[in-house]
Amino acid sequence: MSTPAQSTGRFPQTTMGGRPPAQLADVLERVLDKGIVIAGDIQINLLDIELLTIRLRLLVASADKAREMGIDWWEGDPFLRGGTALESRLKRLEAAAGLESGNGKGEEEEKGG
Amino acid sequence: MAPTAESGNGWYVYGVVPAEAASRELFAAARGVHASGAVTLVADGDLAAIASGVPLTEFGEAAIEENLRDEAWLEEKVRAHETVLEAALAGTPLVPFRFGTIFRSDDHVRKMLRENPHLTDVLERLRGTVELGVKAYLDVDEFERRHGDEAEAGEGGRAYLLRKQRDRRLADARASFVNACAEESHARLSSAAEDARANPLHRPEVTGGAGEMLLNGAYLVRVDAEAGFKDALSALESRFAPDGVRYELTGPWPPYNFVEVER
Repeated sequence: MSTPAQSTGRFPQTTMGGRPPAQLADVLERVLDKGIVIAGDIQINLLDIELLTIRLRLLVASADKAREMGIDWWEGDPFLRGGTALESRLKRLEAAAGLESGNGKGEEEEKGG
Repeated sequence: MAPTAESGNGWYVYGVVPAEAASRELFAAARGVHASGAVTLVADGDLAAIASGVPLTEFGEAAIEENLRDEAWLEEKVRAHETVLEAALAGTPLVPFRFGTIFRSDDHVRKMLRENPHLTDVLERLRGTVELGVKAYLDVDEFERRHGDEAEAGEGGRAYLLRKQRDRRLADARASFVNACAEESHARLSSAAEDARANPLHRPEVTGGAGEMLLNGAYLVRVDAEAGFKDALSALESRFAPDGVRYELTGPWPPYNFVEVER
């Protein structure tokens, strides 16, 4: 709720002209996957980052807007590449996160309704 | 099924800046990851953390696990993280933290600063630089128009085989062009930069209309060498545009790609 201050105006502006809002994919790639890792008190550990990137991928995979959002960067991630290893890892991650619906095993049946 | 719910406030840390250079004025317009906490600086010695208060009901261990699964929540917070760092970027060198670094008190933030004195060296290395992103895409149709020879007209087995051969030649030519172009682009841009990273490519299904991605690079460029970097990019553009290559420059970014300490 502060006023839109021009406090940065006096610094040399290095942007390439007016900056369009960054593509989400570029932001996600950097904010979630790069940047220095310092242990906080409440740290999102690596497993969770992997989990959430996979989940984001799943969430957008079926959506038409995946393309225009450009959400794809983990596709190139060596960890996430490579078929069946991914599948089983994904299942384990989802199971670990308690995403399977109640009845044990984390087995994927049909995604009914 | 959440473990114990937490209450009270924590401190979300976006990054670290030199204490002397930083002013909280930088963040006057930036909204943090939670509306309840204004972005401020928590300093100790030479270093200051860019931080804001967050309610542990939302950012505590149990809650954040839950929230990370909500893509709308995540996008909003990730963008807020980026916006705060961009506000700082113009005024000071900074070390961006990865998303989700949270402490239980400002004392703990100060302790973190004391325990990571090497951040001072990282800041020194980054001083006067920006991270720029360059992505390059190949318009496959354009490439094939330029490099394909005349299609063999006509019916029959021979014409069919010739067409097959031509398609294979074209695919080979494209593959080697993509490699060569990516290599040369990255090499030229790297030589105009202090440091460089070639990141994983985005897949064609998702780059969609943009074409086939052949380079996803990040470059640490001295502010006073930015013009030279852009010249190098323009040179690449004029050279490869006729083959159907398009370059996209993004940034300046907080130097996310250049703060990794060996882990």
